[in-house]
Amino acid sequence: MPDGHTSIKQEEQARSSLEPPDFELVARVRSGNESAFEELFNRHRRRVSLIASRFFRQREQVEEIVQESFTKAYFALNDFYNEQEASFAAWLARIAYNSCYDELRRQKRRHENALSDVSEEDAAWLEDNLRAGGAEGDVEGTAVTRDLADKLLSRLSAEDRMVLVMLDAEGLSVSEIADSTGWSVSKVKVRAHRARASLRRVLQRFL
Amino acid sequence: MTGHKKEHGMNERLDQLGRKLVRAAADNEEVGEAAASSSFLYTRLRARINSERARREERERWRALFGVVWRAVPAMAIVTLLAFVLFLSSTFGRSVGSYTDEALFGARDAGVERVVFASDRQPLSSDDVLATILNDEERGNLR
Repeated sequence: MPDGHTSIKQEEQARSSLEPPDFELVARVRSGNESAFEELFNRHRRRVSLIASRFFRQREQVEEIVQESFTKAYFALNDFYNEQEASFAAWLARIAYNSCYDELRRQKRRHENALSDVSEEDAAWLEDNLRAGGAEGDVEGTAVTRDLADKLLSRLSAEDRMVLVMLDAEGLSVSEIADSTGWSVSKVKVRAHRARASLRRVLQRFL
Repeated sequence: MTGHKKEHGMNERLDQLGRKLVRAAADNEEVGEAAASSSFLYTRLRARINSERARREERERWRALFGVVWRAVPAMAIVTLLAFVLFLSSTFGRSVGSYTDEALFGARDAGVERVVFASDRQPLSSDDVLATILNDEERGNLR
């Protein structure tokens, strides 16, 4: 698991002994206490922001996803019944992933015919990296690589991108992805297989 | 066999590169942190919730109106159909029916006999009725 998630878990553990659990806050919101929702928002805003930042580069987009997710959660609070601690976080994460997925699909529709160009330099970089067995340097972190990665991933379908980010960047297991998206385990497996094949095709086009 | 191995090796390298690119694209934690700590985020969220609530209420009003119309239209159709059927049956009954008001409620010698023989629409005299009854009795006696 990446560092962001570990620290979130530590925060949750430290908080749990002192403050009312999430399900109690949910019950208060249901009974009309709006400040309890603000408390829930403050507890989980970071987690939702980090989920959104896996899929979107711009801060405005991330904030949009945060607002969208919490708005959906607010109006769906009556559907939240599981009273186990930490289940609210999982429920909210599921809403956040679905919001990201919806936004990816909208983006895909908007940019269907506006393919961002991969320059010759980018293609050369890809080829060098491939020849080096994908082990050349630290791929993460450089702005150029991020741009290129973004250009390439924008050519994948929303489902493919979603499943690849959850597998490779979030480090989630197939069953965790199934829980988070509401897809079946077999659908996740098939989707992951197809997503890898799609990404291979996209990469091959530039080599 | 060698070609297959070569293809497999190529696919593995592409997958490795793909994984790295996916991680690079998702390596955006600082933006996530910045968004989480952005000021007035909750205020903006509240505004959004309020506008969404107003939108939902508006939609509910339309839905309620639509529900009323949805129920009212079939009810009105049934009432109209019933009225039409009643209208038709009354019209039809009047044109074909053999009993006139005069036959049923005739002022002269009103009785069962007059109703029975009123189909030819000619008023019967008491003598006609008596003759008919006598004829019937004679036929009965002959048998």
